[in-house]
Amino acid sequence: MKSGFIAFAFAAAVAAAPLAAQEHAPATQAPAAQAPAAQAQGAGAQKSASNAGAATVDHITPHITDSKYLEVPSLDPSHGFQRAVTLPSGWPTFTIPLPLIGPFLVDTSPTKLVVMLWIAAAITVILLVGAARSHTRRHRHGLPPRGLAGAMEAMILYMRNEVILPNVGHHGEGFVPYLLTIFFFILIANLLGLVPYMGTATGDISVTATLAIMTFIVIEVAGMRALGKGYINTIIFWPRDLPLYMRVPLSLILSPVEMMSKLTKPFALAIRLFANMTAGHIVVLALIGMIFTFQSYLLAPAPVAMAVAIMLLELMVAFLQAFIFTLLSSVFIGLVRESAH
Amino acid sequence: MRSFLTRALLLVAATAVPAFASEGEAPKGLLSPTGGLMFWTLVVFAVLFFVLSKFAFKPILAAVEGREQALREAMEQAKADRDAASALLSEQKKQLDAARADAQKIIADGRATSDKMRADLLEQTKLQQADMIERAKRDIEAEKVGAIAALRREAVELAIAGAGKVIEKNLDDASNRALVEKYLSAIETN
Repeated sequence: MKSGFIAFAFAAAVAAAPLAAQEHAPATQAPAAQAPAAQAQGAGAQKSASNAGAATVDHITPHITDSKYLEVPSLDPSHGFQRAVTLPSGWPTFTIPLPLIGPFLVDTSPTKLVVMLWIAAAITVILLVGAARSHTRRHRHGLPPRGLAGAMEAMILYMRNEVILPNVGHHGEGFVPYLLTIFFFILIANLLGLVPYMGTATGDISVTATLAIMTFIVIEVAGMRALGKGYINTIIFWPRDLPLYMRVPLSLILSPVEMMSKLTKPFALAIRLFANMTAGHIVVLALIGMIFTFQSYLLAPAPVAMAVAIMLLELMVAFLQAFIFTLLSSVFIGLVRESAH
Repeated sequence: MRSFLTRALLLVAATAVPAFASEGEAPKGLLSPTGGLMFWTLVVFAVLFFVLSKFAFKPILAAVEGREQALREAMEQAKADRDAASALLSEQKKQLDAARADAQKIIADGRATSDKMRADLLEQTKLQQADMIERAKRDIEAEKVGAIAALRREAVELAIAGAGKVIEKNLDDASNRALVEKYLSAIETN
């Protein structure tokens, strides 16, 4: 079935190849992410994509990485119904002297993904605080929630009762707000990336790394609070039931392993979320790019159909990755709290 | 298929390699974090965490808890009500059974009493009847004896009266005698 579909796409491509020679490739994919001056060049380069050389313009990377421009809807078809709005710059900057890495420049000027973060946070607040208001209003009349508030409650309760509390362990109620915030923030940011003109904040390593570092700190603080002085044993391997001449070499070998295992957890969290969110977008862009590569309208339905399928998969992945990030954070917190026993 | 793959790979390579070069100010790979975005992620998340835990999760979980509490109370109340109702029902059933047994007993007693009474009455009536018959017989006998005696006395009276009449008219007269005899026979037939 699937191979037949691909074969059909190829037949269409071969048949359409001569037709495409002199047609005007629509410049809809011209990236607003590029500087507006580069757009004319991008449209020109689009036609000569086959003779890949110095004129080739990368349309995929600018779309999935951060930029200083915001794509907004426009009625002008010559720029692909979009307009690039330059975001303000010159906001305060400061450098953080990091040990081993060196000075780390922090420019607080908003970029596209910063705006996406704001929008995601605003949507999350509107959704959840709205749900909470509806909850309290209806609860006063002794009624259960309905509609969106009910859906939010179902998600919150599922995450709390089925995911967070069983994994975090006893007296884990204190971690519920943090993990729920993580879940909803990532979920909304993921879904925002599927909306036209928007960007995927969670498809950038900066965002996922920050979230993972915060989770790392939460995990370690949870470990310190749960284990007290015994927390040191999760960093330095020090088996008390072995004689000293065995303990020292074992400790020298296994302590780095312990430390590595601590650091790989947030690293995996960051990379997993980033890679999942980025991969789908790259696939969608590559599929759409096939239309321009083959310079054919006849071929267009096949990549569009595949792109739609990938977008549907992305919709599932958006939920799945938010869920997995929360689940794994809960599991890691539970692990470090349980490691006393 | 293979040519497609190589073509696609070539395309990706062709598009990806210049990306790092043509990025503008700082060549930035996909995996190098930017400070501004990290800073904003931290700030946005901190604000979101504060706002959500104070204005969203707390009220929602409180409402849920309240509802669960209300539900639990309602269930316990319902259970208590049901227990009370079933206790009441069993008591009522017991009472009903007792009442029914009482009624049966009363009916049985009544029937026995009436039977006994009827038998008694019948007995009594029979006795009375027999008594009355006996008395009537005795009365009739007495009346009969009295009547016979009275009749005899009357007959003697009449005979004496007749004899007196005869004697008065003609004593020792043959025809008179015949007359007396005739008279006497006439009485006898009466």
